[in-house]
Amino acid sequence: MDIDGDTEASSRRVQVRFITKLEAPLKVPTTSIAVPSNLTRFGLSTIVNNLLEARNPDWEAEPFDFLIDGELVRMSLEQFLLAKGITAEKILEIEYIKAVAPRKEEDPSPHNDWVSAVDGSSPGYILTGCYDHLGRVWKASGVCTRILDGHSDAVTSVSTITPEGAKSVTVATGSKDRTVRLWKFDAEEPVNHPLKIRAFKILRGHKASVQSVAAHVSGKMVCSGSWDCTINLWQTNSLVMEGDLVSTKKRKVNDQVDESQLEGEALSTLVGHTQCVSSVVWPEPESIYSASWDHSIRRWDAETGKDLSDIFCGKVLNCLDVGGEGSALIAAGGSDPVLRIWDPRTSAPVFQFASHASWISACKWHEKSWFHLLSASYDGKLMLWDLRTAWPLSIIESHNGKVLCADWWKGDSVVSGGDDSNLCISSAIYV
Amino acid sequence: MKNQKDMKTKSVETALNSEEPKEQKPQQQEVESNSDSSYEVFSGDDSSEDVGSSEESDSAESGSSGDEDFVNEGDSDGLENSGREDDGSEISDAHEGVEESDSSEDEVAPRNTVGDVPLIWYKDEPHIGYDIKGKKLKKKEKEDALGSFLSRVDDSNNWRKIYDEYNDEEVELKKDEIRLIRRLLKGKAPHPDFDPYAPYVDWFKYEDAKHPLSNAPEPKRRFIPSKWESKKVVEYIRAIRKGWIKFDKPKEEPHFSLLWADDSGLTEKANHLAYIPAPKPKLPGHDESYNPSPEYIPTQEEISSYQLLNEEDRPKFIPRSFTTLRSITTYENAFKDCFERCLDLYLCPRVRKKRLNIDPDSLLPKLPSRKDLKPYPVTCYIEYRGHKDAVTSISTEASGQWIASGSTDGTVRIWEIETGRCLRNWEVGEAVHSVAWNPSSEHPILAVSLGPDVLLLNTGLGNEEQQTKVKELLHVETPTATHESGERTSIVSWLRDDKYEGIRLRHFKTVSSVEWHRKGDYFSTVMPAGESRAIHIHRLSEKFSQRLPFKLHGLPVSSTFHPTRSHFFIATKKTIRVYDLLGERKLIKKLDTGFREVSSMAVHPAGDNLIVGSKEGKMCWFDTDLSSAPYKVLRCHPKDITNVAFHRSYPLFASCSDDCTAYIFHGMVYSDLNQNPLIVPLEILRGHTSSNGRGVLDCKFHPRQPWLFTAGADSVIRLHCH
Repeated sequence: MDIDGDTEASSRRVQVRFITKLEAPLKVPTTSIAVPSNLTRFGLSTIVNNLLEARNPDWEAEPFDFLIDGELVRMSLEQFLLAKGITAEKILEIEYIKAVAPRKEEDPSPHNDWVSAVDGSSPGYILTGCYDHLGRVWKASGVCTRILDGHSDAVTSVSTITPEGAKSVTVATGSKDRTVRLWKFDAEEPVNHPLKIRAFKILRGHKASVQSVAAHVSGKMVCSGSWDCTINLWQTNSLVMEGDLVSTKKRKVNDQVDESQLEGEALSTLVGHTQCVSSVVWPEPESIYSASWDHSIRRWDAETGKDLSDIFCGKVLNCLDVGGEGSALIAAGGSDPVLRIWDPRTSAPVFQFASHASWISACKWHEKSWFHLLSASYDGKLMLWDLRTAWPLSIIESHNGKVLCADWWKGDSVVSGGDDSNLCISSAIYV
Repeated sequence: MKNQKDMKTKSVETALNSEEPKEQKPQQQEVESNSDSSYEVFSGDDSSEDVGSSEESDSAESGSSGDEDFVNEGDSDGLENSGREDDGSEISDAHEGVEESDSSEDEVAPRNTVGDVPLIWYKDEPHIGYDIKGKKLKKKEKEDALGSFLSRVDDSNNWRKIYDEYNDEEVELKKDEIRLIRRLLKGKAPHPDFDPYAPYVDWFKYEDAKHPLSNAPEPKRRFIPSKWESKKVVEYIRAIRKGWIKFDKPKEEPHFSLLWADDSGLTEKANHLAYIPAPKPKLPGHDESYNPSPEYIPTQEEISSYQLLNEEDRPKFIPRSFTTLRSITTYENAFKDCFERCLDLYLCPRVRKKRLNIDPDSLLPKLPSRKDLKPYPVTCYIEYRGHKDAVTSISTEASGQWIASGSTDGTVRIWEIETGRCLRNWEVGEAVHSVAWNPSSEHPILAVSLGPDVLLLNTGLGNEEQQTKVKELLHVETPTATHESGERTSIVSWLRDDKYEGIRLRHFKTVSSVEWHRKGDYFSTVMPAGESRAIHIHRLSEKFSQRLPFKLHGLPVSSTFHPTRSHFFIATKKTIRVYDLLGERKLIKKLDTGFREVSSMAVHPAGDNLIVGSKEGKMCWFDTDLSSAPYKVLRCHPKDITNVAFHRSYPLFASCSDDCTAYIFHGMVYSDLNQNPLIVPLEILRGHTSSNGRGVLDCKFHPRQPWLFTAGADSVIRLHCH
């Protein structure tokens, strides 16, 4: 009897019921079962997999994550219940979701130099910028379809500006040669070898390196942040305008540039930052968000060019993204290992994720999910985060060296570039 | 009559003290004379009751009138008794007679013992009082007035009868008594034997004195109490009663004193202030006992371990156990100890040390908390790797996007601060001493000193217009020396450097450092071995060099332009001198560091303060407005300070040293001239490794962020962020 009592004490049991929002083959019967309370996520995942296997004999084990009261379980069930003050008397409802972790690591796509920028906003291709002055378009891992040739210095930022549904693709690149260039190509066109293309429009006006480029939702405009502390807004249309022609005449170095190339001047300049504007995003047509080395995040009215609100951080900011719940949360990282997330209505960060060991170079919200975001850091790690837990969901260590840029691709992959000159794709992430 | 009464009272007393021996007689007589007056009062009271006593009261008055004589007599009696007996033989006879009468009265029936109380208390009682055994004395049956009258008429002797109320009896006066009364009534001496004209008795005999001073009889005043004395006594009595005089309680002397107590309390009593009691020897404890408890006795191991100790550390006495006190051997050090104690008492100078009781914490200045002084560099996040050898010098670009570094491996590199990427690399082929970025953001020119040359390099940064300007600036005609005077060309020649598309300034000695003026047109070079021509100021736009027109005092180490005014700082090994370059062209200030060898100097962006690092690891802060002596000296590094730096906008300064650390300080300069600069040490930055005995060779702040770059001898540049 005594021994029985001891074992009972050491592994107390909790009545749980597994529920899910997943589709039919992943559903388990909603009957309650008693599980030992010292189970962790892995144990719960095994139970769910066993239950699924009982229904479907050729089921392949799949990692799951578990939510209790909207919070991810990151310790043993017992500790979790204690920490949250949840009674174990009642039947516990545990929601399970597919674990957000890369299941596949694709071969790195090598570049000639450090990969400084990556854009995966279009499902058909990945856009990268490189320190060898070139931009590249990748169809898949290792398959380069286009080379964007024309910059005279390292490409610092790339952005897709084509609105959904357009046939040919327009992209923008910013570079340390102080220009933003716009490129056009046909994404659907099958190619076997990399095709060099030239920019159709060169946007000059910045006095120092362009750090970041972002496009209007409609694709008619782009904005760029630069080391000259300004944000410039540019027209993307390919029509020849008076001003453009004038500017071509003025330019001396323009001789070698192809006649077909257009030049554009800034439509307007947003002045207000006192230091380098390191990152700009344009998530909604009316407002532009910018992060700067002067420790502030600003929201600009795109129409009037006025500074609407300020968030002061205290650290140099390198990356910025807006997304999450209601597409309103601001995530930013910079010169310290903490990824901070602000609600624009409050001045203090609502979330702080501090598992990195060095500067954060990139942060991106997942397009669909309200909870997931990824961050890249100079410590060589990519981390996937869920707002419902303070621990990273998974850590991707595909780079050996600094990770300089990262983005989601196709909703289930993470693409990243680093100073090991590789573009890495981690795929099969089910969010 | 009165005498008889006296006798009666006296007989009462003798009855009380019947067993007393005869030697006490004189005392009794004294009592007799004293009690006299009290009895008078008593009898006076009674006079109204008794008819026959009216005479007596008269006689009593007369008696009282002759009181003095009587007293005199009594006194003489006393004196006689105390002195000589043989002289007063007749008087003693008379006394005997009195005593006889007393004894005759003793035979009389039991006496009342109520004492001197008003007899009216017993008026209504059946008894008149108590005898000595405590029995009541019954009153006699009173005869009625007629019967008594008749009996008195019948009695021929009635006239000599007196009623003694006290004892309730009739007393018949005797013949001699009546005679006595009669004599009294006549005013004569009561006793017939008394001779008022007796020969004078000289009480004071001058047998030894041949020549008495005076033969005058003893004055009366000798025998009567002094009037003044009694007045004085009355005065005292009054004062005591009113509390004017207070009697101090006798001080309680402590019964016990601590034999071994510290003598310090005695010092107050000592006459001289500087008295210091000798220290007491230590008290013997349990271990000095002849038979101490076993725990006091050291084991053999311990004793042998004592031998290993130093002579002075060894215990003086090793406890041993003896069964009896007798068996204790002689203490071999007795003489030695005694001698030492004597020496100590005699020779040991005892000085009263006035030790101030000050809390050491209170002496520390109140510094603000480090947390309140944020931001400042704390952790290293980015390392710039690429150099093959020690990085000797770094310089940040004005915008804070780039940093240049020079190394002993003969390369000059430009790094992107944000990513740590090496942007450019010049192989200059010679160890670089110093790099300096032109402070003007419009001229991205880098000045590099290597050996005797200073290279001005075009970094290729900036936009096209800036580039064209820079190219114009860096364009030199090949025969530079032609239009300049011979002397100048011999010092510095401006040569075109085709390899790096820049200018090469050839000096005649090794150039150790290059410093730009804030506007980016002038720059100064220091050649420590150049003696009187050690420091030059060059003008880039005119390609013109000139020697500093001041005499140098000592070996120049470093030079700097004032950040706002046209002043020029020159650091030599021991002093800093400030010169005015415009206007009067003279020495303005001389700052004395007090160091053996100054290694570096940095000027606060406001220009009034500067820090100087020395090769002995000390750093000092000068407030030039305050004095020419250091305002604060910070002794922080165990090894040479290699460089010091101020931040351009944050109140921070830093020092780096060969001990592989860099120190960050908060250095707030207030615009209020009355407030001294606030210096707070903040952080020690570590991380560099030592190489060839050198540690961190240079440190520079980021121009806009509170970040510090440190260049190490381990060929790494590290960026420390807040």
